[in-house]
Formats: sequence, C-alpha cells, structure tokens
Amino acid sequence: MALRAVRSVRAAVRSLRVAAAPAATCLPRPWGLRAGPVRTLRTGSALLSVRKFTDKHEWITTENGIGTVGISNFAQEALGDVVYCSLPEVGTKLNKQDEFGALESVKAASELYAPLSGEVTEINEALAENPGLVNKSCYEDGKLLLEIFQRITAAVNIRV
Amino acid sequence: MRQPAVQLVRLSRIPYTELLALQERWLRRLQAEPGTEAPSGTEAGALLICEPAGPVYTSGLRGGLTPEETARLRALGAEVRTTGRGGLATFHGPGQMLCHPVLDLRRLGLRLRTHVAALEACAVRLCELQGLPGASARPPPYTGVWLGERKVCAIGVRCGRHITSHGLALNCSTDLVWFDHIVPCGLVGTGVTSLSEELQRHVTVDEVIPPFLEAFKETYKCMLISEDSSN
Repeated sequence: MALRAVRSVRAAVRSLRVAAAPAATCLPRPWGLRAGPVRTLRTGSALLSVRKFTDKHEWITTENGIGTVGISNFAQEALGDVVYCSLPEVGTKLNKQDEFGALESVKAASELYAPLSGEVTEINEALAENPGLVNKSCYEDGKLLLEIFQRITAAVNIRV
Repeated sequence: MRQPAVQLVRLSRIPYTELLALQERWLRRLQAEPGTEAPSGTEAGALLICEPAGPVYTSGLRGGLTPEETARLRALGAEVRTTGRGGLATFHGPGQMLCHPVLDLRRLGLRLRTHVAALEACAVRLCELQGLPGASARPPPYTGVWLGERKVCAIGVRCGRHITSHGLALNCSTDLVWFDHIVPCGLVGTGVTSLSEELQRHVTVDEVIPPFLEAFKETYKCMLISEDSSN
C-alpha cells in the first residue's frame, strides 16, 4: 500500500514537472501543443481524483477504478457552441487514444479520444437534449462519459 | 520566414467515393506525422479539388436524411452517403467545385473555427473575383456563403488529431433542381444558387479553380505545390 502511494506520488511529481515546463502563462496556445496543468496535488488515495489532461484537451478524473471523461475549458472555447455530441454506447471497450466520438459546432465535427483504456459504463444522457452543457459546464454537467479502467498506473501518464 | 506548403491535388471529374478514398489516404499519412516538429519540406497538408462525376447526396455526423428520404433519393438515380463531417444534408454533382483541404491545423497556425472562417473567406473572395461583390458568410447555423437568401457555397468539415477533412462545395453550374429534393443543410425556407445562375452565363468548374487557388493561398498564407508546376 505504502509502495503504491510512493509510486503514485513520484509519478505525480513527474507529471507536475512536465506541466510546469516553460510555457506562456495565459496566452492562447495553438490546439494541442502541451498538456494542461495538474490543478491540485493531494496525498494518499485522494490523489487518484486529481483531474488529468491529455494533449488533446480531454480530461479524466478517477476514483475507485471509474474514470469520468470530459473536455477542457480551452477545448470548449475553441470549439464554440456545441450543437451535437456523438458518444459511444454503454459497454463499448476503448483503447487509450482510440477515437470514441465527436462534438459538432459551427459545421465542424471534432473527434474525441479516449484518455485511458477501459469500458464505457455510462454516457451523459443530458447532452442529447442539451449539448450546450459542454460549453456551460465542461467539468461538471457537461462531462461526456464514465468508464471502468483496468490499470490505475496508466492514469499518470500524460503525453506531452 | 518560409510559408507552409500545401500539396495541390487537382483531380478532374471523379466519383465521390474516389475522393473519399484519397482523402482517407491523406488523413492517415498526416495523422501519422509528428506534427509541429515535422521536418521542413514536408507538406502541411493537401488541397483536394475535383468536380463530382455523378449526383450524390451526403449527410453529416448528426445525420440529416431519414431512411425514407434515402430510398427516395436513390430512386432518383443519385448515390447517398453518410459522412462524419459537421452539417446536415447536402448535394454534390457535376458543375460543382468540391474542395477538401486535408490540413494540419498546427502547421498552419489555425484553430478549427478559424479554418471554417477561412473556408468562408476563400469562397467570398472567389465570388468577388467572379464579379459578385455581394457574397457573404453568415453566423451559425447559417455557416456557408450566401448571395442574399440563397446559398452558393456549403461548408462542412471534420477534424481529428488536428487534421481537417471535408470542406466546401461551391455551385458553379450545378443543376440546382437536385437541391429541391432535400432541405439543404436542414435550413427550411432558404434557397440555393450557383455562379452561373447569378451571372446569367455558363460558369464552369475549370474556369473557377485558378482564382479559387489564388484566394486559398492568400487566405491560408501558404504555398501550393504540385507535381508538375512550380507555383
């Protein structure tokens, strides 16, 4: 247990260091150049619910083997008003970085990629009626889906 | 500073499915490249331009054609295809300039929304060059290029791993009757037009391509390279 905590902390420090690499602070960046910042750092099992970002601006929070996936504020602003969410069916097995759906805005459909391998357990049904939730509340009501994933250590591997 | 280079792939009349297959090959090639660190000398993408050989109706990510409509349209002698692009139903056919820029947005310094705006700007500029100064883009859900209440150019794109696909369809001498069988882009009550209709003379796709390429280079601030010429 202690060993896992040490590995997690070490990995989190690694990812923090990656995120703190030299970058402009608030200037808008071209799409997908760097991983987003890790927002908070806590110790112990609460570490696993830290929001992590991919280089394609999806985020995932994990708790007890269930991951919640959405897109970042940067991504929803870049997209503009989302008019449609295409999400996979419950039960779909995803491999990390597989395309699992798309969001449409201003006649442009943007693909979504799985931050982790796992199986979709729930999709956010509210988005069918109200796709704008992705813009209004990208971290809460506008989340996309939940998935069960197998390997917790995979969660700290942010691609730069 | 050297401008990014885009490969011009100018095709003559080809079936829509062939265009999709070529687009797919370019997508796979560009999505496999490392991106902003790609060595200079490789293209920032490809500009596929063609005139569809036959009539085809397409729907987008959200759909846009019911199974009944699909059957009816096939009975008219048209192909019907689903695509993953944004937008609803539209028509492609002879007399139309169909342009699919398969571009790496990072290498061109663009976001998806600015790419859509740039496609609109190219079509507006092209209309101006053809003697139609009243062309304009309109905000969503009326994305596209309009002359009054009539759309002359439809737009629908897709983006995956920063690489765009699909693009715009500009009516040069398209037989507009084909549009009567659908609600174009799901916009009830709007009309469709073509350059030939507006200028009251026969405007071919071949005539329109060179000024369009100029507008593209200006708008995207890129070079167009082709196998034969040194443009």
